[in-house]
Amino acid sequence: MLLNLHSHNLMKTLLATVICWTVALLIFFPIFWMVLTSFKTEIAAISMPPQFIFEPTLDNYRRIFERTNYTRYAWNSVVVSVGSSILGMIIAVPAAYAMAFYPSPRTKGTLLWMLSTKMLPPVGVLIPIYLLFRDLSLLDTRLGLTMIFMLMNLPIMVWMIYTYFREIPPEILEASRMDGANTREEILKVVVPMSKGGLAASFLLALILSWNEAFWSLNLTASRAATLTAFIASYSNPEGLFWARLSAASTLAVAPILIFGWLSMKQLVRGLTFGAVK
Amino acid sequence: MTQSPPLSEPTRAVRKVHKPSLGDRLAEQIPRLVVSPTMLIAVVFIYGFMIWTVVLSFSTSRILPRYEFIGWQNYQRLFGNERWMVALTNLGIYGVLFVVICLAIGLLLAILLDQKIRAEGFLRTVYLYPMALSFIVTGTVWKWLLNPSVGIQRFGRELGFENFRFDWLVSSDMSIYTVVIAAVWQSSGFVMALFLAGLRGVDDSIIKAAQIDGASRITVYTRIIIPSLRPVFFSAIIMLAHIAIKSFDLALALTGGGPGYSSDLPAIFMYQFSFTRGQMGVGAASAVIMLMGVMAILIPYLYSELRVKKDDR
Repeated sequence: MLLNLHSHNLMKTLLATVICWTVALLIFFPIFWMVLTSFKTEIAAISMPPQFIFEPTLDNYRRIFERTNYTRYAWNSVVVSVGSSILGMIIAVPAAYAMAFYPSPRTKGTLLWMLSTKMLPPVGVLIPIYLLFRDLSLLDTRLGLTMIFMLMNLPIMVWMIYTYFREIPPEILEASRMDGANTREEILKVVVPMSKGGLAASFLLALILSWNEAFWSLNLTASRAATLTAFIASYSNPEGLFWARLSAASTLAVAPILIFGWLSMKQLVRGLTFGAVK
Repeated sequence: MTQSPPLSEPTRAVRKVHKPSLGDRLAEQIPRLVVSPTMLIAVVFIYGFMIWTVVLSFSTSRILPRYEFIGWQNYQRLFGNERWMVALTNLGIYGVLFVVICLAIGLLLAILLDQKIRAEGFLRTVYLYPMALSFIVTGTVWKWLLNPSVGIQRFGRELGFENFRFDWLVSSDMSIYTVVIAAVWQSSGFVMALFLAGLRGVDDSIIKAAQIDGASRITVYTRIIIPSLRPVFFSAIIMLAHIAIKSFDLALALTGGGPGYSSDLPAIFMYQFSFTRGQMGVGAASAVIMLMGVMAILIPYLYSELRVKKDDR
């Protein structure tokens, strides 16, 4: 009886394993196919049956670098994401520190209201921001985009850093205060070193979110400050029939995410679920 | 891993030593001073801009903003516009299907992964992978897979099914469903992560007790485990619903709202009317309707979160 039950469970686990791997293949296929296609010629890309074995070519990549301003878009993406993430950290760390270590009865409410702004649709503030940017001549500038990306990610960064700070035992802070540390020393010598991993994760989350952001980049930039997502969006229409080249452009745009994403998936989930999944 | 909804852990009190000197009183104010710029930016700025949008929605603004009050005219024009009604209907179809399918797939994957499968960590990362990509790239990749002349339809025909049809992308009746497919692909792994965390938090002793009483595995899941995941369902629905209402880039990259305007979503409509067509007033009105939609989801959520906090004390 016991043995029977055991083999029954084994069957079920086997079935679950098979389903899980099938789903994993299905989910991974579009990404895999995009990367694979980017190394094909245009003819090989649309040939049927689909080719898994072929002579890889770097032509698509070469053409993207020759014929478009790819490097400018990529540089814009780097500058804007890194800039907005650093700026966000500078503002978010002190705020999270104050909320985590000096909680008042209203702290939770304040945090929730801040987070709620992250959930609201950006179209709700698009026209005012557009008008303001036009009047301040920030349209199509990297500075303007950096500020918007920072604003967009600030609530989630404060929240995330807050949850990491709360993991530091308050006794340690009390001890350092007893030793006569002032606030600045307390932050720089105790809090920051103790939550290095968490701060790095928050920074990375902000980086990935900014890198992927398309709404603001499409609406507030034209050609000078446009980021890679805007590049893909514009590339995909007129060149829609050149699938191999489009795949190469998309692969280039997601390559950093594919690498960093693999390393930081746990932190990404924690941030996107507002700390529900640790 | 926790089964409680986000944001609900009890507030931890920090003991303070009271020494009523001037410097200390100043120091006590520092936290508030430090938080205020963030507060100002996040709340006052964003909510202030929303009020500005509301004002514009009652104004005569077209290509340029003009602040002459015209009452509900923009809203009347908005709801008299067939394209807006299509966009709203699409959001309804897309929103409901997206949330329901993501919940179903996410829960199923979480339960399967919870069966002590080997390489669980690896599988989990694979499931989550699409979420790290930008919607623009997701849209581009799926645009190709769903294109009848190069993608899945052609592959099906090549396999010998001459009459195989999968041309939703170019059919105005079905194009909105392609947005659902791509969005589900992108987000179901994320819902899986939420549910898996919830499953790991379910109290083992209750399950053991039920099994001793002779409950089958299915009964244990349907009667005990799934009902106890209610808070997870709640937060997953909130997350998915607001992603659905905000959807813009995915539909733009995948269908561009087409064919025609058959797969328009409110966010695309708003963008088109405000900027491409120079109807800022109508665009603002549509933005206000969307804001109200999100508020309708958000306010009960915030309310329940704040109430949980009080109960914890």
